Amino acid sequence: MTDKGGIQYSNIAEIKGPLVVVDDVDNAAFDELVEIETIEGERRLGKVLEVGNGKAIVQVFEGTTGLSISGTSAKFVGKVMEMPVSKDVLGRVFDGLGRPKDGLPDPIADKFIDINGEPMNPEQREYPKDFIQTGVSVIDGLVTLVRGQKLPIFSGSGMSHNLLAAQIARQASVVGTNDDFAVVFAAIGVQYSEAEYFRKSLEESGALKRSVLFLNTADDPAIERIITPRVALTVAEYLAFDLGMHVLVILTDMTNYAEALREISAAREEVPGRKGYPGYLYTDLSTIYERAGKLNGRKGSVTQIPILSMPSDDITHPIPDLTGYITEGQIVVGRDLFRQGVYPPINILMSLSRLMKDGIGEGSTREDHAEVANQVYDAYSRAQEVRALAGIVGKAGLTEIDLKYMDVGDVFEKEFLTQATDENRTIEETLAILWKIVSKLPKNEITKIKDKFVDKYYQGE
Amino acid sequence: MTNSTITATIDKILNQTEKSILSDISSELSNSRQKLDDSVSKLEAEYDKIIADGKKEADKIEKQIVGGSDIEARNKQLLALESSVNRVFATALEQITNSDRNSDYANLINSLLEESTQILGTTEVKVFTNSKDRDTVQSALSRFPGSELSSENIDCIGGVKLESKVGSMKFDNTIDAKIDRLKPLIRKEIASKFGVNE
Repeated sequence: MTDKGGIQYSNIAEIKGPLVVVDDVDNAAFDELVEIETIEGERRLGKVLEVGNGKAIVQVFEGTTGLSISGTSAKFVGKVMEMPVSKDVLGRVFDGLGRPKDGLPDPIADKFIDINGEPMNPEQREYPKDFIQTGVSVIDGLVTLVRGQKLPIFSGSGMSHNLLAAQIARQASVVGTNDDFAVVFAAIGVQYSEAEYFRKSLEESGALKRSVLFLNTADDPAIERIITPRVALTVAEYLAFDLGMHVLVILTDMTNYAEALREISAAREEVPGRKGYPGYLYTDLSTIYERAGKLNGRKGSVTQIPILSMPSDDITHPIPDLTGYITEGQIVVGRDLFRQGVYPPINILMSLSRLMKDGIGEGSTREDHAEVANQVYDAYSRAQEVRALAGIVGKAGLTEIDLKYMDVGDVFEKEFLTQATDENRTIEETLAILWKIVSKLPKNEITKIKDKFVDKYYQGE
Repeated sequence: MTNSTITATIDKILNQTEKSILSDISSELSNSRQKLDDSVSKLEAEYDKIIADGKKEADKIEKQIVGGSDIEARNKQLLALESSVNRVFATALEQITNSDRNSDYANLINSLLEESTQILGTTEVKVFTNSKDRDTVQSALSRFPGSELSSENIDCIGGVKLESKVGSMKFDNTIDAKIDRLKPLIRKEIASKFGVNE
């Protein structure tokens, strides 16, 4: 923060899509914040994308609609975009650029932080290994989320990923510790009704008190979406590393973010990469996802659940594809289960949490967690094969053991996977259901669990 | 068949029936006991589940009530604080507006001009100020060759606004603009006087 202002230039050479080209500019810096003033005195924010040859290319976050070359001026503020942060941001609702949207004044800032963040020193990173309970059985039991992890949800248009995101935001907690927990929720290009649902859902459950919401709705300028995840993560990093809280960041929908990036790239006439996305999409996404983690000697952590809707449910689309390279696993929402009316419709056979093994077991969840999860995963996989076989030979052609596996598949979907949107299951309840599923199998089919656990928890005959 | 034989047969049948009835009663009794014993544990489990569900629901409602009222109270505090901060600002601005244009003020104008011309990179500028500061600015401009005071007055508390002669660059160094830039920091200072964020 400085008391020195910036120079206001009125030589606008060109307005192209979300970009404004300013002429005769000295001393502008890359990423510098720019205030664009219209002839009517309206102010919009932007940032410098390129400088050189006396020109500066400015990306206007609120869009260039209504701007004209004459009468528009650009003030180079002399600093990068900063987010004012303090503990008072908890319980607040902001727009996609970090401005209050709840009718309350700006938070009284403890400090102002560059929204681009500072890359974490890899040597200072601490390996994530502490469990976060989401209260959603399928996540806690089979694709466990760990503090400091980045675990995306791959979904498709129209599916219930937003319901799931709101449920996680309401219910998530750290167990076995009194450390503070907070949720930072960034809605990127969502419909107004969805944004309202998120706000109301947190407000009515009392979870808003420990949450910060950033809402960029579909009718907000697309370019604002470039900023939304960054302001959200800036607040999350402050809460985690300055105030020692465990912060869960939910970013939905990252596809809208990538679309905004494509829009800017097209306006800059850059050489397009796959499906028109810029060639640096991977690098750009990593500047967001890599902001998750834990640091040695610091109490807090930043955990990320980015949600992205795969165009045409295509998991090979550049957005899920490149996301998958950076993140530590994925939770895949399945169209078939969604059509069957299962909630949450998570396809566990395509889902994986790479850090799960370090966040579960004795001292974290329960000693038998890993083994019972493996057994259920295996049994459900077998159930799917048996269902396919039954489709060809009919149920009458199945063996007795095949029928048992079919039963396992049904119980898995009806009792374990299916959960009410306001049902918050503890990890003990989740493990009890996993054992109920395993107990549908005869003992000789249980090959992935140690005998001592079978003796202790098996409920079959 | 003699009477005694008939009596003996009836007694035998009665005895057997009695035995059978007693055995049935006894077996039913033990069955009932068994069922009762079983249902006690089931009832206990059911009871525990109802209590656990009730506790969960109570926790949820408690969270809703406490969370909602905490937020409401905090928001009211924020609004009250903001109104106090605004009052402090209004008073301070009024004091600055009514302050004497003495030698200290002339020094301030001088340093504002110096800072502005340095940032613009030229002294060939048109200077704008309010009607109250015209004389002070006019006398300070002699130190900046090529500068001229515009005949047009601007609406501000004090300070200067500069424009390059071609009109393509402007720099706002009025006191209003400076306060605007520093407002977030000043708000923190004022809030700390009220015991917030200390």
